[in-house]
Amino acid sequence: MTDRKPIYLMTPALAWLTAFMVVPCLLILALAFFQRGTYGGIVYELSLDNIAQVFDPLYGRIFLKSAGIAALAATIAVVIGYAAAYAIASMPRRHQPILLFFAVLPFWSNYLVRTYAWIVLLNREGLIVSFTRAVGLEGELPQMLYTETAVVIGLVYNYLPFVILACYAPLSRLNPEIHEASRDLGASEWTTFRRVTLPMTVPGIATGFVFVFVLSIGNFVTPALLGGGQFQMIGNLIYDQFLTSNDWPFGAALSMILIAIMMGLLTLQTFASEKASGQQRSEKVDD
Amino acid sequence: MTRPLLSLANIEKRFGELRAVNGVTLDIHENEFFALLGASGSGKTTLLRMLAGFEIPSSGSILLDGRDISQVPPNHRPVNLMFQSYALFPHMSVAQNIAYGLEMERLPRSEINQRVDEMLSTIQLAHLAERKPHQLSGGQQQRVALGRALVKRPRLLLLDEPLGALDKKLRGEMQLELKHIQNTFGITFIVVTHDQEEALVMADRIAILKDGALLQCGSPRDIYEYPIDRFAADFIGIMNFLPSRVDAGALSAADGSRISALLPGDLKSGDNVLAAVRPERLRLGAADAENCLSGQIRAMAYHGLDLHLHLDTPLSSQPLMVRLTADAAEGHPFAVGEKVTVGWSAHDTRVFTV
Repeated sequence: MTDRKPIYLMTPALAWLTAFMVVPCLLILALAFFQRGTYGGIVYELSLDNIAQVFDPLYGRIFLKSAGIAALAATIAVVIGYAAAYAIASMPRRHQPILLFFAVLPFWSNYLVRTYAWIVLLNREGLIVSFTRAVGLEGELPQMLYTETAVVIGLVYNYLPFVILACYAPLSRLNPEIHEASRDLGASEWTTFRRVTLPMTVPGIATGFVFVFVLSIGNFVTPALLGGGQFQMIGNLIYDQFLTSNDWPFGAALSMILIAIMMGLLTLQTFASEKASGQQRSEKVDD
Repeated sequence: MTRPLLSLANIEKRFGELRAVNGVTLDIHENEFFALLGASGSGKTTLLRMLAGFEIPSSGSILLDGRDISQVPPNHRPVNLMFQSYALFPHMSVAQNIAYGLEMERLPRSEINQRVDEMLSTIQLAHLAERKPHQLSGGQQQRVALGRALVKRPRLLLLDEPLGALDKKLRGEMQLELKHIQNTFGITFIVVTHDQEEALVMADRIAILKDGALLQCGSPRDIYEYPIDRFAADFIGIMNFLPSRVDAGALSAADGSRISALLPGDLKSGDNVLAAVRPERLRLGAADAENCLSGQIRAMAYHGLDLHLHLDTPLSSQPLMVRLTADAAEGHPFAVGEKVTVGWSAHDTRVFTV
C-alpha cells in the first residue's frame, strides 16, 4: 500500500482530454464515414467515398503542396534556430536565460497580431518597400505579400522560438570537455562541430523540425492572411469544408488523414529522442 | 643533462584579479612520469590546461622540444589530454572513439585500423570495440579515454585526475597499470592529482603547487621525507607537529622537555618552531632513543596492515599519532587509557618555522 503511486492526480487532466480531445476526435473519425446531404447536413449512411476522395489527385496535390511548404518552413526554421541556439549556448551561463527570454518574447503576443504585422511589412506600400525606396534602391520590388514566400516567412517567424528552445536544450547540456576532447585530438572547430556537436544534438533538431512541420502543415491562418487565398493549404481546405461548403464528412476525412500524418511523425520523433536521451542519461550516471 | 622535453619558464595566468598560476618554472624530462600535486584552487588544473592549449599563459613561455607552444592551438600540439570526465564521444563506438584522433591526422585507413586494433588489445577492450561508451563500466571508459589519447603517440600525455572516478581497489590496480603503460610506450606523462598517495605511488617526480606557485619539486622520497615547509609536511602523508622553541642549539617543547633534532643553521634561540615526526618513525618502548616520552592511549584504529595509536602527551594539545606495523603490535593487547612509552631519533625530527 505504501508504494501506491498517486495516479488519481491525473484524473482531472485525463477527464479534460477525454471530454474535449478524445471524444471530438472520435466524432470526427465517425463523421468521415457518413455522407453529405444534398443541401448540407449529414446523411447517416456508411460510405468510404469521403476517404477515397481524399486520395483524388486534386486533393493529393494540396497535401503535397502543404507538406512541401511545411518542410521548407521547418528546414529554414531549424537552420536559423539552431544557429541562434548555438550562439546562446556559447554565451556565459549567466547571460543565457535572458537571451532565451528575448528569443521567446514574440510568443507572448497574439498569433494573429504577429501575422498581421507581416502584412504591414510586406505589402505594396509596406515598410520594406518604403525602406528600399528611402535608401535609394531603384526598380520595382517583386510582389511579396500574398505569395508562397510570404506564407513560408510567416510560418518560420511564428515557430522559430520553438526551434530555438528545442535546439538549446541538448546544446546547453553538452559537456564542454567533449568539445575540448575533439580539439585536443586534432580536430578543427568546424570538424568538431560536424563530427561531435551536430550528431549529439540531432534530437533537438528533430524535435524542432517536427514541431514546425506539424504546426505548419495544418495551419490555416497564415496561408489565409499572407497567402491571400492565392493557393490553399490543407488547413484552409478543411476550414472550407466545415465553414463554407458545409461538407462535414469530407472535412472530417481530410482531418483524419492529416492527424494520421502528424501522429506518425510525432511517434517517430518521440522514439528518436527517447533513444538519444536514453544514451545521454546513462552517460550522466556514469560520470 | 640533455635538453628537457618540456620547459616552463615563469608561467603566469591571471583571470581578472585572480592569479591562478603565479610564476611557475619547471623542467620535465623525456620519459618522466611527473605529478602535479595540489589541493583544489592550487592552479594545477589551469597549468595543465595551458599545456594542452585550452588556456594561453598571461606571461611566460612553454617550450616543448625547444619550441614555444604557448600560443599554439590544441589541435596543433603533439600533446594529448585524458580528461577527468573522460569526455568520450557518446555517439561513437569504442573503436570509433580511438580512431578519431588518427582520422584527424589523415592517416591511411589501413594504418588507422591497425593502430586502433593494437590499442584495443593494449587496453584489453578488443572484445568491446563495437560498444558505445554508455555500455561500459567506469574502469572500461577510463581505458578508452587513455587509449584514445595514447594512440596518437603524443610527445606528452596529460592526465587530469585520471583515477578520481574509480573505486579504491580499481584505483590501486590502475596506478600500477598506468606506470606499466608509461614504461612500455616511453611517453612522458604528466598527471594532475589532489591525491598525494597516487602521486607518491606513480610518479618519478612530484611538484607540489600551492596558491598557483611551485612549493616543492622532487622525488616522492624527497617530498615525503624532507618536506620543505609545514604545509608540504601536512599535505603529504600524516605528520605529528610539536610546537616548540629554539633553546641553546636544541628544542624545548611546550612542557619544557627537550626535543633532539638536527637544527637548521638559520634558527636563533627563542624562535618559535614546529618539531615534526612521522607516525611510523615513532617506536614503542624505545627508552634508549634520543627522544622519549610517555603518553596515554586515547584512541586506536586498526587497519589490518598496521595499528594507529593516538596518544595524549604533555608535549602537545593534539594527540600524537603512532603507527605500528602488524609485527610490532603483535602480542600487545593495547587498551584505551593504557600508558605507553615511545621514542624516535634526532635525525627523524623535522623542524619548520611557524
